[in-house]
Amino acid sequence: MSEVILTMKDIDKSFPGVHALDHVNFEVKRGEVHALMGENGAGKSTLMKVLTGIYQKDSGSITYKGKEVEFHNTREAQDAGVVIVHQELNMVGDLTVAQNIFIGREPKKGFRIDDKKMIEDSKKLFRELNIDIDPKEKMHNLTVGKQQMCEIAKAISHKAEVIIFDEPSAALTEKEIADLFVIIRDLREKGLGIVYISHRMDEIKVITDRVTVMRDGGYVGTLVTAESSKEDIINMMVGRVIYEDPKQHSMVAPDAPVVLKVEHLNAGKMVQDVSFELRRGEILGFSGLMGAGRTETARALFGADPKQSGKISVMGKDGQLHEVTINSPQDAVKYGIGYLSEDRRRYGCVVQKSCIENTTLATMEEFTSGLLINSAKEKEVTERYIKELATKTPTADQLVVNLSGGNQQKVVIAKWLTRNSDILIFDEPTRGIDVGAKNEIYKLMNKLAAEGKSIIMISSEMTEVLRMSDRIIIMCEGKVTGNIDISEATQENIMNKATRNID
Amino acid sequence: MEKLKHNPIVKKLGLNRILLVGILILMFVVFRAALGSKFPIADSIKSTLNYVYFLGFLSLGVTFVIATGGIDFSIGPVMFCCALISGYCMTSYGVPCILSMVICILVGTCFGIFNGWLVSYMSVPAFIVSMASMNIAKGLASVFTKTQSVSWPLGNDPENGWFRNIVSYNGFPVGLVIFLGVAVLCGIVLYRTKPGRYILCLGSNSEAVRLSGVNTKKWRMLAYIICGLMAGIAALFFVATYTTVQPGYGDQYNNEAIAGCVMGGTSMAGGLASIGGTVIGVCIISLLQQGIMAFGLGKGQQMIITGIIVIVAVYADVSARRRKN
Amino acid sequence: MTKKKKSILSDQRFIVLLVVIALTAVFSVMSKEFRQYNTLLSLLDFSYYDLLMAIGVTFPLITAGVDLSIGTGMVCYALIGGTLIRSYGCPVIVAMLVCVLLGVLFGAINGSLIGIMNLPPFLATLCTCMITRGIGSLCSATPWPGLTQEGGWFHSIYKLTIGTGRSADRYPIGFLWMVLMVLLMEFVLNHTKFGRYTIAIGSNKEAAALSGINVKFYHVMVYVVCGLFVGLAATAYAAVTPTVQPGTGAGLEMDAIGGVFVGGVAASGGYGSILGTFVGIYVIMLLKTGLPYIGLQANWQQIITGIVLIVAVLIDILKEKKGMQ
Repeated sequence: MSEVILTMKDIDKSFPGVHALDHVNFEVKRGEVHALMGENGAGKSTLMKVLTGIYQKDSGSITYKGKEVEFHNTREAQDAGVVIVHQELNMVGDLTVAQNIFIGREPKKGFRIDDKKMIEDSKKLFRELNIDIDPKEKMHNLTVGKQQMCEIAKAISHKAEVIIFDEPSAALTEKEIADLFVIIRDLREKGLGIVYISHRMDEIKVITDRVTVMRDGGYVGTLVTAESSKEDIINMMVGRVIYEDPKQHSMVAPDAPVVLKVEHLNAGKMVQDVSFELRRGEILGFSGLMGAGRTETARALFGADPKQSGKISVMGKDGQLHEVTINSPQDAVKYGIGYLSEDRRRYGCVVQKSCIENTTLATMEEFTSGLLINSAKEKEVTERYIKELATKTPTADQLVVNLSGGNQQKVVIAKWLTRNSDILIFDEPTRGIDVGAKNEIYKLMNKLAAEGKSIIMISSEMTEVLRMSDRIIIMCEGKVTGNIDISEATQENIMNKATRNID
Repeated sequence: MEKLKHNPIVKKLGLNRILLVGILILMFVVFRAALGSKFPIADSIKSTLNYVYFLGFLSLGVTFVIATGGIDFSIGPVMFCCALISGYCMTSYGVPCILSMVICILVGTCFGIFNGWLVSYMSVPAFIVSMASMNIAKGLASVFTKTQSVSWPLGNDPENGWFRNIVSYNGFPVGLVIFLGVAVLCGIVLYRTKPGRYILCLGSNSEAVRLSGVNTKKWRMLAYIICGLMAGIAALFFVATYTTVQPGYGDQYNNEAIAGCVMGGTSMAGGLASIGGTVIGVCIISLLQQGIMAFGLGKGQQMIITGIIVIVAVYADVSARRRKN
Repeated sequence: MTKKKKSILSDQRFIVLLVVIALTAVFSVMSKEFRQYNTLLSLLDFSYYDLLMAIGVTFPLITAGVDLSIGTGMVCYALIGGTLIRSYGCPVIVAMLVCVLLGVLFGAINGSLIGIMNLPPFLATLCTCMITRGIGSLCSATPWPGLTQEGGWFHSIYKLTIGTGRSADRYPIGFLWMVLMVLLMEFVLNHTKFGRYTIAIGSNKEAAALSGINVKFYHVMVYVVCGLFVGLAATAYAAVTPTVQPGTGAGLEMDAIGGVFVGGVAASGGYGSILGTFVGIYVIMLLKTGLPYIGLQANWQQIITGIVLIVAVLIDILKEKKGMQ
C-alpha cells in the first residue's frame, strides 16, 4: 500500500507582486493521509488550486498515476479522480442536496433528469458515510457543517482517487469532526490518497500519516507523523525566528481606564452574549477558530451588521464611560471607533482610487473649506502619513490597487489616524501580507498602543496573538469561552478554550 | 502611441477625450463631404446644438447615477412627463410661465427622489426601478393631460415667449452658455466637493465607503435626485426648441443619453466618470442624429445605430476593465 | 435544524391565485359589463402574448438578468412577418416560422452579449430593445390576414370561431395551449439540465462553473429560450392586433416582467416558477382589463403596472431580509 499516486515537483507560481509558490515538492501515496501544514499565506491552498486546475502553474511537473498531467480546470481534475473539498463552500443554495451532489453530471432518463435515481444515489452515499441528511432539502437550509458533509459526499461520488480536504474542520463541531475522521479512515482503508490541510495540531497527530510543511510559499520538509513531535512540526512551520518572543506580561498601565465596555452583545447566531472591556493603550487579542464569531462581534460592535441587544459604552471627552447607540458605521466612527477589515480589497479601501482619496475618506468634513475640497490640505496630510507609516508608494496620487497588501493596510490605518480614532479594530491585520511587512505592521500597532490608542486585534495566528496581545479573549461558536492575561496564556490553554464551549 | 500617452499636454486633457474630439470633427467633415449642400454648415451646427441642449442635461444627470454603479433609463419619459405636466398647467390652468418652469424642474426632482429612495433605501435593483418609473412617468403624463399633446408658447407669444431666450437670444446661443456652465458646475460637484467624492467612491466600492462611516444611502440617493433634476431642466430646453410634446414617448432619449455618457468614458461598473467626456459624447451623438436625418434616414435607423454604438462602447469598457484585472 | 412544514398558504403562487380570484370577484360585482363572456374572451385574447413573453423572460429573471427587448422585439417580428405576407406573398405558416426564428436569433444576440461578452443584462437588452424597435419602424403598418381572409386560419390557433358574424360561437382554445405550455416549461425548469443550470447560474454562478458546467453555453441558451417565446408571442400578438403599428411595443415588456415578479421570482435570482408567472400575468391582465370597467381610464394602467412591479419586488426583498434575520 505504498505506491505513490501523485507527485508534484518543483511547482512554481507567481501572481503580480507575490511569489506564491517557490519550487514546491509534494507527494501522496495510496492509503495515506498526508497533512499539508503552514501558516496563513504559506501557499497551501494555492498549491492545491494548482493541482486541481483552478490556477495554472508557471513551471514544474505533476505526475498522477505514473503519467505527467496538467489539469486545465476542475472538471478535468474531477474526471481524472482528483477532487477538492473547498474551504469556502461551493454550493448552489437554491438547489437541493441531491441536485448539488450531482450537478454537472445528472443521470438522465430521456429528456428529463432522473431525480429519483439522484435521490436514491445520494441516500446510498450518505448511508455509506453514515451521515443523516435529507437529499431533498434545499442546500441553504442546512447548517455549515452539514453543507460540508455534502461537499465531501460530492467529492467521494466522483470516484475520486485523491481527495483534498482544505481545512474541513474549521466550521465543524467536535462530533462532526469525529464523524469526519471515521469517513477519512474508511477512505484510507480503500486505498485513496488523502491530502489534509489544517491548522489544528491535535488533528494532525490523530488522523495523518505524514506531514509536509510549507512556509512563505516554499517547501520546508516532510515528516512521518508518528515519529515527530508537535514541536518539530511547529519549528518547521515557524522556521527562522522572525517573530519576537511572545509577550511575557501586559504592557498596559495597571490604572489605565476602560475606554470601551461591551455588555451582553447579541447579534444572530454567531454573537451570543458577548461581554468584554478594552482599556486605554491595550491590545486586546481575539482568538478562536474560523467561524467562532469574532469578525461578527466586531462588525456588530461597529454597526456594520444589525444586532439584537447589548449595551456598548465608550469613554467620552470627559473621561467617563457613556452608553452609546451604534446602529451604523457612521455612529461608530462618530464615537471614535475605526474598523480595519480582514478583506481589505472588499471592505477596507476603495482600491480604484488614490491614496489621498482613501486617506481622507472618513474625514471629508475636515478637508472641505466652504463647499469645495481643499486638495492641498488633503495632499499634505496624506503625505505626512505616508512618511510616518513608511508606506511604500511612488506618490500620494497612486491608485491603491497598485500597492502591496502591507501598504494597502497602511493606507487604511492612515484613514483612521486621520480621523483620530481612539479605538481601532484590526481584523486579521496581517492576512495576505508578506513576512517583512508583517513586522512593520506589528511595530506600528505597538507604537499606536504606546501612544494611548486602544486596539482590538482579531487573529487566527497563534504566534501573532501571543506576541501582540496584552490580554486575550477566546471565542467559540459565538460565545466568549476565555478571557486571560497574556502572562497566563499558552498555546495549549488558548486552544483548549477555543475548541470547547462553556456549557 | 506610447509616446503620445506620456506627453504632458495629452495627459492633462486625456487621450480619450482628444480622440473623441477628433471623431467629432471627422464625423462633421465626412458628413459635409458626403452630403454637400444637404448638410449646410451653419444650420447643421444649430440643429446639432439644439439637440445637444436637452440631451446634454439628461446625459450629465445620468452620469452621476452611472458613477454610483447604478442606472436610470426612465429619464427620457420623465423628461416628457415634466414638460407635459408643467406645460398643461400653463396652457389649461393658466399658471404663469415662470411658475410652470419651476413645476417642470420640481416634477423631475420628485422622480429623482422616488427613484433614489427605492434604489438606495429599499434596495430595489436599479433597472427595475427604472422600468417602473418609466411606466409611471408615461402613465402620469397621459392621465394628467388626458392623452393630449401639449404645446409650449411660441417665440412670438407676447406674454410667455420670452422663455425661449434660454436657448438663444437674438441669435446668441444662450443655451450653449447655460449648458457649458452647468457642465462645469457638474464637474466641480463631482470632482471637487464632498458629495461628488462620495458618489465616485461608493460607485467603486460601496461597502468600504460605508465602513468608513459614510452615509452611503444618502449620497447614492443624491445622485438619483441630481439625475431627476437634470431631466427637469432638459425638459425646458426640449420644449424651448421643439415646442410640442406628446405623451407616451421619450424612450429613445434614454439610450442616446446613456450612449453619450458611456462614450465619454464613464464606466458602467461605477466609480469612474468623466463630465468632459460626457459633453463631447453628447455632441457626437447629436451630430450623428443630424447626419442620419440629412442622409434621408429616419427614426428607425437612428435607434438602430445608437443601440449598436452603446453596445460597442460598453463592451470596450467591459473588456478594458477585464484586461486591467 | 427543524424542518418547517410547508403550508400551501406560505406559497406565493397560491396567494397570487387568491388575488386573481378576488380581483375577478370584485370587478364582477362592481361592473355588469365585466361579467360578460366577451370580456373574458378579450381578456384571454390579450393575455396570450403577454403570457408567452412572460414565460420566456422568467428564465433570464431567474438568472438575475432581464430581457427588456421582449416588447419591441415581439412587435418587430410581427411587423416583419406581416410584411412578408402582404408584400412578398409568403404563406402565413412561413411568416410564423420567421417570427420564431427571429426571436431565437435576437435571443442568441442578447445571450452572447450577456453570457459571453459580459455586458450588463439590462444595458445589452436596452440596446436590442432600441434596435428591434428601429428595425420594426422600417416596416410599414401591416395587418396580418383577417379571420375571413386567406391565411386567416391562424387565428383559430388562439380562438376557435364557429359560424360567422355576431352569432358566431367563439372558444378561447388558446388558453388550453397556454396551460400546456406552462406545464411544459415548468417541467423544463424543474426536471431538465437546462432548467437546473438556469437556477444554478442565478443562485451561484461561480459554484456552477466550478462544478464543471458550461456556464457560458447555458447562459446564452437562457436568452435563446426567452427569444423563442417572444417569437411565439409575436404570432399571438398578430392574431389579436388588427394592424401592427411600427414604433410601438415599448412598455409591453413591463406587463410581462411585472407579471413574473408578481408570480414570485426572486429579485436576486435563483428562484422562479412558471406556474407563478402564469398566475402573476393574470393579476396584471385583470387589472388592465378590469380597471376601465370600474371607471379608471386606460391611462392609469401604465401607472398601476409600474406600482405593481415595485410592490412585488419590494415584497420579495422584504421577505428575504426577514429570512436573513
